[in-house]
Amino acid sequence: MNARLPAFVLWLALTLAAFAACRSESAPQRFPHQVHLAGIACGVPGKPACLSCVSCHDVARHDSGQRLPQVAVCERCHRDTHQVRAVLAVEPVRPSGEITIDHDKHLAMPEIRGQCVPCHAGVVDAKRPPLPPMSQCFTCHEHSEQWDRGQCTPCHQPEALRRTMPTTFLKHDAGFLRHHGNVMAERQQAQLCQSCHTQAQCQSCHDVTQDLKVETRRPEKLESGQVHRGDFMVRHAIEARSEPARCLSCHTVQGCDSCHVARGVSANVANPSNPHPPEWVGTNTNSSNFHGTVARRDIVSCAGCHEAGPATNCIRCHKVGGYGGNPHPRGWKSARGIDAEMCRYCHE
Amino acid sequence: MLLTLLIARPSLAEEPRRAAQKDQKAETPDRFSVSAQSETYVQLYRQALVPGQNGQVVPTQLAAPIHEYLFANARDVDAPWQKDSIGLEFAAWGRLWPTVSSIERPFDGDVQTANVRLEAGPVWTRVGRQQIAGGAARFARFDGVMVGARHLGFFLEGYGGFTVLPRWNDQPGYHRLGSAEDTLLVYQPPPATRGNYWLTGARLGYQTPKISGSLSFHNEQAHGGVDRRNLGLDLGATPVNEASLGASAMLELDSMRFASARLFIDTTPHPLIDIGAEVLHTEPALLLSRQSVLSVFSTDGFEEVGGTLSAKLQRWLRLDTNGYIEAYRGTGPGARGEAAARFSLGSAYPTLVRIGYTRVIAPKNGYQAVRLSLGRKLSHRLSSTLEAYGYIYDELVAGYKTSSMYAGTASYQVIDPLELMLTASVAQSPFAALDAQTMLRATYRFDLAAKPRGF
Repeated sequence: MNARLPAFVLWLALTLAAFAACRSESAPQRFPHQVHLAGIACGVPGKPACLSCVSCHDVARHDSGQRLPQVAVCERCHRDTHQVRAVLAVEPVRPSGEITIDHDKHLAMPEIRGQCVPCHAGVVDAKRPPLPPMSQCFTCHEHSEQWDRGQCTPCHQPEALRRTMPTTFLKHDAGFLRHHGNVMAERQQAQLCQSCHTQAQCQSCHDVTQDLKVETRRPEKLESGQVHRGDFMVRHAIEARSEPARCLSCHTVQGCDSCHVARGVSANVANPSNPHPPEWVGTNTNSSNFHGTVARRDIVSCAGCHEAGPATNCIRCHKVGGYGGNPHPRGWKSARGIDAEMCRYCHE
Repeated sequence: MLLTLLIARPSLAEEPRRAAQKDQKAETPDRFSVSAQSETYVQLYRQALVPGQNGQVVPTQLAAPIHEYLFANARDVDAPWQKDSIGLEFAAWGRLWPTVSSIERPFDGDVQTANVRLEAGPVWTRVGRQQIAGGAARFARFDGVMVGARHLGFFLEGYGGFTVLPRWNDQPGYHRLGSAEDTLLVYQPPPATRGNYWLTGARLGYQTPKISGSLSFHNEQAHGGVDRRNLGLDLGATPVNEASLGASAMLELDSMRFASARLFIDTTPHPLIDIGAEVLHTEPALLLSRQSVLSVFSTDGFEEVGGTLSAKLQRWLRLDTNGYIEAYRGTGPGARGEAAARFSLGSAYPTLVRIGYTRVIAPKNGYQAVRLSLGRKLSHRLSSTLEAYGYIYDELVAGYKTSSMYAGTASYQVIDPLELMLTASVAQSPFAALDAQTMLRATYRFDLAAKPRGF
């Protein structure tokens, strides 16, 4: 295809732009806590007093959970104010927002004995996270009552929860998207999940009656697992055959046909274009193109165009007395009586 | 509703619950939070399927659709009988189509959710437009009531109401093929009325931090007959912190067959590695409405086995892979898989680069896809994304074997609550020689939260 060259050039330009954009950035440096706590000669004549956590961090401050030292604290020893400000400007990443925690109360506990490091192990161990993960809290706190209620406040602030992903507890790992419905079902409806999520968030994907699909509304979410990104117009037929019924997680077959009708590729329009291969309908039932074989395997795809209630054209042939034969496959059964409305389309 | 919430003031707790006393201070004030958001979408330009590669010629139209999405939500509002016991949610969208169209209505829209949730001790209820998700219901929206109660880890929930119908039930320009008489139909079904679409269901479960599970029942009526009637079982367990497993099954009660059954396990053998495995059985015909005549045409099912692997190799590098194999009855196997590398570089203005390769093998056709994504925060207020997609199809689609798409966004935070985003995309596919679109999005976000007490 003659469009391949410009496409390749654009791809190449994108890649180069990406790396050019990244070139000047580097990973944030952690504050050298260990140097300050254990790497400075101290406590002997002629040397400064040894530092502890509270030398810099005012854990008694009550206006915020965040207790980064003021510039003046650093300037007791460091004279380069510019460098000090630059270091303090890099705040630790708080994936779950600011946590409401009573440091005074915790430090006074006999299990903690005024030691910060058991919880903040990342201060001295670069392999550990700089701020304690939630699993660290759960080594002492069970919070079973809050768990039952699905209540994350007041430790977490609702505003912070809405914009963060759990990194340890209730982690949304790689397979989470595929079975998040199961996760919802096995717990109290709307309790734990709705600590962070609203029903409107569910519907931004699941409400297929809205006019703009989620990919159009949130194109900047590059990693959100949106199903219809890219050239879904072409892919959707392949995806539907690859995972029959997955579409039905959100869509009804009326939804398929509504779109097909608008584009003239449904059986429910005047003079529809026929998408089916040769021998789709006819006497050669052994043909690999014969519609019966495909219909048995993936009837949902058929319904995408042909579902029309009593006007469904399939039952013109496949009805009692019709020449299409009995449509019910081997093993089919129903608890409904023959006078059920849908059954009466053919059985009366 | 929003106005009511805005003029509300935090109130002191008169009698905090025992649970709150245990972990908080007795004088904790109301910690309610309110958030609201408005999104306006203006489609600036669109050229699609003109002219189609197969020579389709679609007449151009002047159109300037404007979409508006509104959302408001309040949580943990105190009630006279109990703290943190009232929640409200409202979401709706509307569309203005100012030019003449044979298909689109001048005004369109829908209320997505509008409900109030009340809690009293172990009992809660939600009234209004809402949804039920998971279990036997899969996903359903309804106007009605949901009531739940919990005690000693057990929970019981019940719901009922009128199903929220798709808007296209009476979409202009939508015509069924022929009339009912054309089908040689003897039985004439009665006309559909709103009262013929309703649902009800219940769920009984048990939940602790380590294990959870529920048995659910869902009954939905359409056209005055059974649309879906399912029994669901969902189980989950976290025997150790490094692994969780789950299982779910849905029994279609009309035919007494399993419409779907799933078994999965997720493990974290190392803090930087996630591994998941899954087995799935589905019988597609059982997921169709029982009112669909096509639902009686098949009993075939298919099985799927696969898993995911995610590894954070470096602070800035993560690999995500997944692969699944499908076994269909009567046709050959299928497969799908993806491998992606994600680079996250920089700190103050991080850059995200993601390169992914996807392979899908399905009956009749399949494809290979490459996707390159770039996200970059250019300054405190400005950020952008660029994406490129390329596809190669195994078999010709409308005479063509490839398609490509390029998309980009630029977002600017005008003031703290107001963000503007311009999006654009260009695509070439078997169905369109050129598909080009641009859209402007304006998002206004409002949050009001009672500040946490400082300790």
